[in-house]
Amino acid sequence: MGAIKVVIQNLPLLLQAAMMTFILSLVATAIGLVIGSLICILRHSKRRSLARAGAIYISFFRGVPLLVQLLLIYYFLPFIGIDVPSLVAAVAGLSLCTAAYLAEILRGGLLSIPVGQREAGEMLGLSKAQIWRRLLLPQAVRLMLPAIVSEVTLLLKASSLISVIGVAELTRTGQNIAASTYRPLEIYTAIGVIYLALNLLLAAGGGMMERRFGLVRQ
Amino acid sequence: MNNETTPVSLETPHFSINQGKDHATATPMVELRSVSKRFGDLAVVKSVDLSVRKSEVVCLIGPSGSGKSTLLRCMAFLEAYDEGEVLIEGELLGYRDDAKGQRHRISDRETARMRRNIGMVFQQFHLWPHMTALGNVMEALVLVRRQTREEARVVAARTLDKVGLAAKADSYPAQLSGGQQQRVAIARSLAMDPHIMLFDEPTSSLDPELVGEVLAVMKDLAAEGMTMIVVTHEMGFAAQVGDTVAFLDHGEIIARGSPTDIFRDQKHPRIRQFLQNYLDRNAFWS
Amino acid sequence: MIFDLFVFAGSGTEILSGLLMTLLTWASGTALSLALGLVVSVGLVFGSRALRMLLRGYVEVIRGTPFLVQLFILYFGGPYIGLTLDPVPAGVLGLAVYGAAYFAEIFRAGFLAIPSGQIEAASILGLTRGQVVRRVQFPQMMVVILPALINMVIILSKETTILSIITVPELTFVVKGIGTRTFAFVETLLALALGYWLLVEATSAFGKALEQRIASHLTR
Repeated sequence: MGAIKVVIQNLPLLLQAAMMTFILSLVATAIGLVIGSLICILRHSKRRSLARAGAIYISFFRGVPLLVQLLLIYYFLPFIGIDVPSLVAAVAGLSLCTAAYLAEILRGGLLSIPVGQREAGEMLGLSKAQIWRRLLLPQAVRLMLPAIVSEVTLLLKASSLISVIGVAELTRTGQNIAASTYRPLEIYTAIGVIYLALNLLLAAGGGMMERRFGLVRQ
Repeated sequence: MNNETTPVSLETPHFSINQGKDHATATPMVELRSVSKRFGDLAVVKSVDLSVRKSEVVCLIGPSGSGKSTLLRCMAFLEAYDEGEVLIEGELLGYRDDAKGQRHRISDRETARMRRNIGMVFQQFHLWPHMTALGNVMEALVLVRRQTREEARVVAARTLDKVGLAAKADSYPAQLSGGQQQRVAIARSLAMDPHIMLFDEPTSSLDPELVGEVLAVMKDLAAEGMTMIVVTHEMGFAAQVGDTVAFLDHGEIIARGSPTDIFRDQKHPRIRQFLQNYLDRNAFWS
Repeated sequence: MIFDLFVFAGSGTEILSGLLMTLLTWASGTALSLALGLVVSVGLVFGSRALRMLLRGYVEVIRGTPFLVQLFILYFGGPYIGLTLDPVPAGVLGLAVYGAAYFAEIFRAGFLAIPSGQIEAASILGLTRGQVVRRVQFPQMMVVILPALINMVIILSKETTILSIITVPELTFVVKGIGTRTFAFVETLLALALGYWLLVEATSAFGKALEQRIASHLTR
């Protein structure tokens, strides 16, 4: 069938774009975890203004649609004189957005760590920063690994929106091919299948990580 | 109602571990002067005085809710006491009095510095589950004492060996029994070379069979001259290892003395009642 | 670096029509997906093996692929199988099919959350299957899943922005147009962001109030 032929002809291009989407999502998640951890620490700060700032960040990046966030960053950066390729703006946008969700996820994990562990750290002379960095956050991440993997799959799908700011990831590549071959149905369906496959890959990877790093709770 | 002064027969040992200890009149290791602590309207610790010498083992006993744990936590500044003074090796803990006599809380950094010489063992052990036993013991050595990982590993291994858990160095807390976890917790504090160790009901969460191994470690520590303040329900330990036993009730120390004073020659009806209850529960044949 | 706040002067009606379109697509999309989702969930819980497998396939595909790609398939690919739609109907239909998969899972979880003992008790008392569903399962289910439902409704409100990509003239499309016309991209997008933020916060607050009202209504 002509349909399959079109897909197979463009498969290398599509798979290349798929890999970019996959790696991009992982990178954005990693950056998002760092930012999200910081936001989490802010939320727990004793100082009202810092805690408020954290809450506002989370509210903004979960309330505003991702598309609007991406467009805003894409036009805002040059506006204040920062000229970056659209890929960088895209990853930045995705990271900032996922950080808000990850901060909430980590908060759930933190709540289940007994306060005595922090006290034990304090008694041993660890500073607040050390307690966060070595005791609380590592545990929170391990405890919430399933939720974090879930968030990565959401990010993978959301990354399709960066096609709008011109990044040559999977969806954008699909648009280009569909336009040149006049076969949108076949191409976009193939794209859908590839996203499904990527999600399966993520789920498998997540399962592996959970087995290796997941915390055994007493 | 038994009105005779029948001695409450908790066996006092024929020899005490504490005989021959150095009782020089130096600065007390821990001193509490009129320390009080309130939670809202409830006064949990009421104007307590206590003085602990070097190498002394003080056991705090009493009914639940008497404020024992809160008092101990005040000594570590895990609770900010409201009135009075807690002095660690002569230095005021947690606060600073300025020239005008006004009291300010000191910074977290300052408190951490003072806590370097205090070790604390908790009822729930509070080991960090994402690190091995060795990792737990090493962590503070690396982060606070700034040792290299290699140096820390050596010290940690040695300390774990001291509490009898050299073989379990690479086990995670979830793989250890309660008694083993608590011994790791003791090793974790011990590795930092504290001058004073505080124990908050260290065996209360343990299965009865596992209590002995933890008490044995604590006995060894006492014999080596560690200054210890122990909140406990283990009267046998208090009798055999304690130099001073203090009985708390409703936030006040209503009796203090040597184990003999408290356990054998006790006149105070409240304390006699408490000890009798203990015997009824624990002496299983007469 | 000029920040022009008067860029919106004179675009009032445009913005209003964009907002109305957003609300229209959101409302109709949500209504349709709720209805469709309920039907699908009933099929998932009570249906035959074949039906369950079919519906499960539908749910997994929709939940596993980006909404944008689904819209593209519908809008650009549709004509090739005889389904030629204008942007707005395509947008609403796409939203409905997308939301239905998520609502189906929420409803399904709700069905399964009711202790089976209650269903048995009701059956023994003589209630028919339909009556059991309507009078026993449904009310209790609603309380349990209300937070998840509200959450999804809010998510759908944010997804309406994606409809702008297939030229549905909703708020994002309109404001982007204004920005392109006046070259005031940052101002317009910032205002857009704040507008959505407000909308979402308001809906969340409304949702929480609703949850509390229902909860107190049922715990008497």
